[in-house]
Amino acid sequence: MSTSSYKKGDPYSHSASLPDKMTVFQECLQQFNASPVNAKKCRQLLSQLLRLIYSGESFPSQESTTLFFSISKLFQHKDVSLRQLVYLTIKELSSTSQDILMVTSSIMKDIQSGDLIYKPNAIRTLSKVLDPTTVSASERLFKNSLVDKNPIISSAALVSSYNLLPIAKDVVKRFTNETSETIDSYKKFPSDQFQLHEYYGSSTTNLPSTTFMYQYHALGLVYELRNHDKMSLKKLITSLTDHQALKNSLAVIQLIRFIHKILIDDESLIGQLFPILLSFLKHKSDSVELESCKVIISLQHLVNKYEFANVINCLQKLLNVPRTATRFAAIRLVNKISIKHPKEILTVNEELENLINDPNRSISTLAITTLLKTIGSGTIESESSIGGESVDRLINKMTSLMDEITEDFKIVIIEAIENLAIKFQSKHKKLVKFLTDLLRDDGSLELKTSIIDTLFDLIKFLKNDESKQLILMNLCEFIEDCEYTELSIRILHLLGDEGPKTSNPSYYIRHIYNRLVLENSIVRSSAVISLSKFAIICGGDVKTNIEILLNRCLNDIDDEVRDRATLSLKFIKNNEKRLIINESKFDLNILENKLIHYLNDESNFESKFDINEVPLLTMEELNSKEIENKLNNLDKNDDVEIESNHKSHQIEESNEISNELLKQQEFSSELSSIPEFSGYGKLSKSTLKPIYLTDKENEFVVTVNKHYFMESDDAKLVLQFNITNTLNHLILQNVSLICQPDNSLYEEDFILSIDELKPQETGIVYVVFNMPNIDDIELFNNFNNTLSYVNREIIDDNGNIDESDEGWSDEYPIEDLEILPGDFIHPIYNSNFTEIFDQLSFEQSTVVNLPGVKSLDNAVTHFKDLFNMMPLEGSQDLDSDANSHILKLFGKDIWNNKVAIQVRLALTGGKVAAKLSIKSDSDNVAKFIVESI
Amino acid sequence: MGQTFSFTNIFGKLFYTQKEIRILILGLDGAGKTTILYRLQMGEVVTTKPTIGFNVETLKYKNLTLNIWDLGGQTSIRPYWRCYYSNTAAVIFVVDSTDKDRIDIASKELHLMLKEEELLDSALLVFANKQDQPGALTAAEVSQALNLTELKDRSWSIVASSAIKGEGLTEGLDWLMDVIKDEQL
Ligand SMILES: Nc1nc2c(ncn2[C@@H]2O[C@H](COP(=O)(O)OP(=O)(O)O)[C@@H](O)[C@H]2O)c(=O)[nH]1
Ligand SMILES: [Mg+2]
Repeated sequence: MSTSSYKKGDPYSHSASLPDKMTVFQECLQQFNASPVNAKKCRQLLSQLLRLIYSGESFPSQESTTLFFSISKLFQHKDVSLRQLVYLTIKELSSTSQDILMVTSSIMKDIQSGDLIYKPNAIRTLSKVLDPTTVSASERLFKNSLVDKNPIISSAALVSSYNLLPIAKDVVKRFTNETSETIDSYKKFPSDQFQLHEYYGSSTTNLPSTTFMYQYHALGLVYELRNHDKMSLKKLITSLTDHQALKNSLAVIQLIRFIHKILIDDESLIGQLFPILLSFLKHKSDSVELESCKVIISLQHLVNKYEFANVINCLQKLLNVPRTATRFAAIRLVNKISIKHPKEILTVNEELENLINDPNRSISTLAITTLLKTIGSGTIESESSIGGESVDRLINKMTSLMDEITEDFKIVIIEAIENLAIKFQSKHKKLVKFLTDLLRDDGSLELKTSIIDTLFDLIKFLKNDESKQLILMNLCEFIEDCEYTELSIRILHLLGDEGPKTSNPSYYIRHIYNRLVLENSIVRSSAVISLSKFAIICGGDVKTNIEILLNRCLNDIDDEVRDRATLSLKFIKNNEKRLIINESKFDLNILENKLIHYLNDESNFESKFDINEVPLLTMEELNSKEIENKLNNLDKNDDVEIESNHKSHQIEESNEISNELLKQQEFSSELSSIPEFSGYGKLSKSTLKPIYLTDKENEFVVTVNKHYFMESDDAKLVLQFNITNTLNHLILQNVSLICQPDNSLYEEDFILSIDELKPQETGIVYVVFNMPNIDDIELFNNFNNTLSYVNREIIDDNGNIDESDEGWSDEYPIEDLEILPGDFIHPIYNSNFTEIFDQLSFEQSTVVNLPGVKSLDNAVTHFKDLFNMMPLEGSQDLDSDANSHILKLFGKDIWNNKVAIQVRLALTGGKVAAKLSIKSDSDNVAKFIVESI
Repeated sequence: MGQTFSFTNIFGKLFYTQKEIRILILGLDGAGKTTILYRLQMGEVVTTKPTIGFNVETLKYKNLTLNIWDLGGQTSIRPYWRCYYSNTAAVIFVVDSTDKDRIDIASKELHLMLKEEELLDSALLVFANKQDQPGALTAAEVSQALNLTELKDRSWSIVASSAIKGEGLTEGLDWLMDVIKDEQL
């Protein structure tokens, strides 16, 4: 990448000195108010002013307004270039100036009868100057401009109308016909278009007669106007594609995005809309093809394998084009497919291998990471010799590439290797070798850290002991010559945890002991702790020997080393295993959260910080969390697009995953602050994602969270209904809920209702039930829910209600709510599903048909969510052409019973059937799960 | 740019630096200001809409360059008139002679404006407009309603006009040009 293209003194760079703001300001006032106006001088000044503004300067309201009025005087001059600059400047000043409506009439006159050159500028500026009181005066003008034969004028009017939407939606709505008409129209530049500007000179022969850009603008506007009418939008899409009306590729891309949005809302339309998407896979514009590929990929679960092959073919072609940006976009998409469906892209392997040598490093890196995935799925697992060869080849290529690429890219590749190794455990050996080789080469701390992180993770998640040993031994070798203290310490810590469990602890002890002799004091003190772990776990001779070693450390020149040695010896002697080995860890997120909370308010200091409020996580739970996060990251699509509200929604969701524990903690402290719940004991579990019981666009939006208190003898269920009043003219009073359980073991205890809910407010109603516990047979339940409230109409602008009118009470049925097995289960990771499954003693099984579910992919998601369990052994990924699949789920319920479920899925005639084998420590849990399905 | 100097440019500059005469047309909304401006400039009656802001046109009149500003007369726009007062040679104040209800308001606005320091030296021409309408006040009646006779130290005149028919406009303007020429000499 070149960063030298913007040199100092370059007119476009910021370092070139800007004109002085105050000088420009003064000169502007002087020149613009002069009579007669000197057009050339004023043009220069406006350019300087714009330059200041474009480079981030702004004027306070008063100065801006003064400038604005002086600029308005330039309307007396007819110079067209001056007028253009006047428009550009007013547009910029419009946000900071007062009283900008003063130029309205002058602008409207220019639009009506002004020069063609500045007419588009005038239209665009008008949309900035208008306000709700003046907008209707310009309605006719806009309509005329929208249908103007000149594409440039039409575009300006379309874009400006779009910008007017926030202040005058109802006026712009009246442009719907003109806008629709414009999409279909043919507008070309006037014959003298390119002579209007000196720039083009006389060489105007090859210039286009139109770019159809107005189609793009019109489509954008029409969409905004019809946004809420799905049917008319669908009609628009089919009619535009039927006779191939769209000639502009941006417009086509936009259309494809609209198709995507419709399909996200209603997947059943895929049959009608897919052929349209398919038709765009053969288009003269790369961008259109890419966009279509992208949309189909994101909807891959709705598309069958043969149809999907079209996407692959298209991408295959695009991987070979000379334009770097296209190749990059194409390989990104290929990479995206490879995350979930590596087999689909085996056909482009050849292209990928060629792209490893692409001059663009971003492309070559993506090529490698993608290949890592396809090879993973296709070949190595079968352990065939061909597969072996291709891995070798790939690793060779990577090894040679490693010398050429920067560390950033190396880190990307290292991460890809890790993901691969976690998902496809059978092929770790070569990858481990690749990593450890890389570890031996020179590299920065950052690079080494990323390698070490990867190796640490592999130790945690690989089930094969041999490979663990291999990694550990390599780490031993690494610390023999490691220049980074922080890495040595981490490795020593890990060796202390893992080494004693291996078959040859003395090997590790030797390496660790060397540290005591050779390293700095920080490393030495870590080595002391590490050794003491061997002593306490291995016992016997090992223990005696280590005691001898540690005794020598009592003479170390460093305090810390001596202290630790003394302490460790004492612990070892008294066999205080708990004090040396950590079997559990505090949840650090929550610990931090609680500490901040505690420190923020000095009145807290009267009592001690209560560490017991911070949950302790066992190593098993910790690992589960970690791997869950990793798998989630793996599946997350980094480029999920479109609308801003869409986006924020997604960000919310991904945060939710990482903050689950925090969220649970929040609920727990929220509930404990409510006196009515004080005797309930510890909150066992909550459902964290709010469940919608109404549409998100409803006048009242209701979501619910379920909270279970199962620790005391009489278990309680607290339903937290979050109710939002989106009506601007109503205040709701006495807001409450009527929840009818169909299982008589659930008895309503009491309700905490909301006194008053103003417009746009959200309030909480708690409904509390006595509920059965796991020893009872029937946990399953369905609640039938109705919202009840008193309506009070708002009568003035201050939101007051008519006190004399009592309002009227009303009821509003909302959706049902079920008690589900997942409410009681946490996902847990385990590297060996089969073993666990066989160990659990109680078994239940059942067969179900899933009526609403049309693909295996959806069935997997369905069961994962229903049970809230972790899919193991990569069983959440399936081949898109498969007709059957086995999903392996594992978790633990709140009564501490392990639960393992094996789901055999079969797809026949578009319907999914599932056979579930549920195994658990407890017969009741297994039964409950079966009954709930 | 090269080193060539064009003679036409130099002469052109000399020609254009001749002073422009700046004239404001003021008055209540609906008085006929915009209609008068375009009648003067194009010689025809245009359909108008309430002026949000101003219109400005340059026109040649008897070898003089007039720079005429027609400012909107709505209550919301009137406060901004003052932003355009400086360097004004003359004010043309237009009154709707049929609008008897608002003639007092017109009078008040007129005297308020004339008090402004920047307009102390400007000449004043009043058009008693819409004379073609039945029941229109005569120029004398308008003059009385506006208390014009009270004006001291100012050249002023009132002319009965009909922008629609084109009557009275040149007459008024001729008077104005004479006054301005005198003052400039
Ligand atoms: N009958 C008649 N109508 C006029 C005359 N001058 C203007 N109008 C009408 O009065 C209305 C307002 O005119 P306009 O020029 O927009 O007034 P402004 O607000 O002062 O600019 C329009 O309908 C004109 O046609 C006139 O001399 N006679
Ligand atoms: Mg007007």
